[in-house]
Amino acid sequence: MKIEELKDIGFEMVTGGEGEINHGYACDLLSEVMGRAKPDTVWLTVQSHVNIIAVAAITGIRAIILCNDHLFDEETVQRAKKEKIALFKTSLNTFEACGKIYQKGIR
Amino acid sequence: MDIDDLIKKIQPYFSELKAEDFMSSPVVTIREDQKASEAKELLRTRRISGLPVADKEGKLKGIISIEDIIHALENNMLDSDISELMTKNVVCVTKNEKIMDVFKKFEMYGYGRFPVVDENKKVIGIVTKYDLMIALLVKLSILYVHDTRREQFVGVEIYRSIPKNVKIVREEFEFQIDYRDISMAGTGASELKKFLISKNFPPKFVKRIAIATYEAETNVVIHSNSTGRIKAYIEPEFVEVRVNDNGKGIENIELAMKEGFSTAPDYVREYGFGAGMGLTNMKKCADRMIILSSKGNGVLVEMHFWRHEDEN
Repeated sequence: MKIEELKDIGFEMVTGGEGEINHGYACDLLSEVMGRAKPDTVWLTVQSHVNIIAVAAITGIRAIILCNDHLFDEETVQRAKKEKIALFKTSLNTFEACGKIYQKGIR
Repeated sequence: MDIDDLIKKIQPYFSELKAEDFMSSPVVTIREDQKASEAKELLRTRRISGLPVADKEGKLKGIISIEDIIHALENNMLDSDISELMTKNVVCVTKNEKIMDVFKKFEMYGYGRFPVVDENKKVIGIVTKYDLMIALLVKLSILYVHDTRREQFVGVEIYRSIPKNVKIVREEFEFQIDYRDISMAGTGASELKKFLISKNFPPKFVKRIAIATYEAETNVVIHSNSTGRIKAYIEPEFVEVRVNDNGKGIENIELAMKEGFSTAPDYVREYGFGAGMGLTNMKKCADRMIILSSKGNGVLVEMHFWRHEDEN
């Protein structure tokens, strides 16, 4: 699916990105994400600090959804723009947010 | 203290180590009816210095080394059978031989390597002085080695044509790690990823390197409380990454290697670090990894990456 389509299913876009999303991954441990997430993934987490952008850039994650109404640090947003990684936020918890994306056929 | 005193002092510590505990295994062997040119290729692609020669049942018949191959090259004998060139009266080590006896054999014969055999004379491994040294350092828990060179991954045609031991000395990439700011962790690995992509390495290969480097870099930031440095050297089919710091070092490497083991402080864990997965991830990504460290002496991590066949 296109990154913009995440908006259509209710996620609030903080900054846009590039490319398509083919997979999803949910986890808050950075090493787990790096070791297991596939390229072209949308990553659901409650981590909002700037290191998540490095993890995304290295792993090939295209979009990050921050759950539970957490807010991104300003530095995180700036770095995401630089690396062209899309950021979204939601009041849903990680499980509920995953469900929405799963329904769209993302695995 | 001279070396004999030193050996006497440390001997009780290691005396129970047997050849099968520290040999390199599985071992690459060659049959006596194969050609010298085939041995040459094996030595070169695996970056090893000698090959035990075995019969069809795997029983030891001789040994052939780089020196024998040089001899064959000089005398235009690369088409000869291995049996004509190999050393036949080969001195070997049995799997239950103790480390000090193996040590004495190196002293007595001056050879660079000994095949290790079981009760039936079947070749099950090989020991070099390097293996001996590694065994001692590992036992002291100041060194960790992970090595997949003997596994079946080297298949890339271009890689085969790289002459052995030719190394580009020029440093290609360098990054200073800022340990004072945890939010900067991963910057070096991201930069290295961009650098490798710009050199046209394939994305899959680069990802493996970037993940391993990220973990090593994060370790410097979280644990060392000191300055650190990432260096990378590149060849067409090979990348070497070195990450070192000047911090407090790892007290027990064997323990640190256990998945899930972590000494990270709580504030770091809240950021999603410190899950005890870092070294495991590095081991998974690197084809060869060496960690050298002891308490108070910083950490040096050296990782080797060869392009795999499915990474083109």
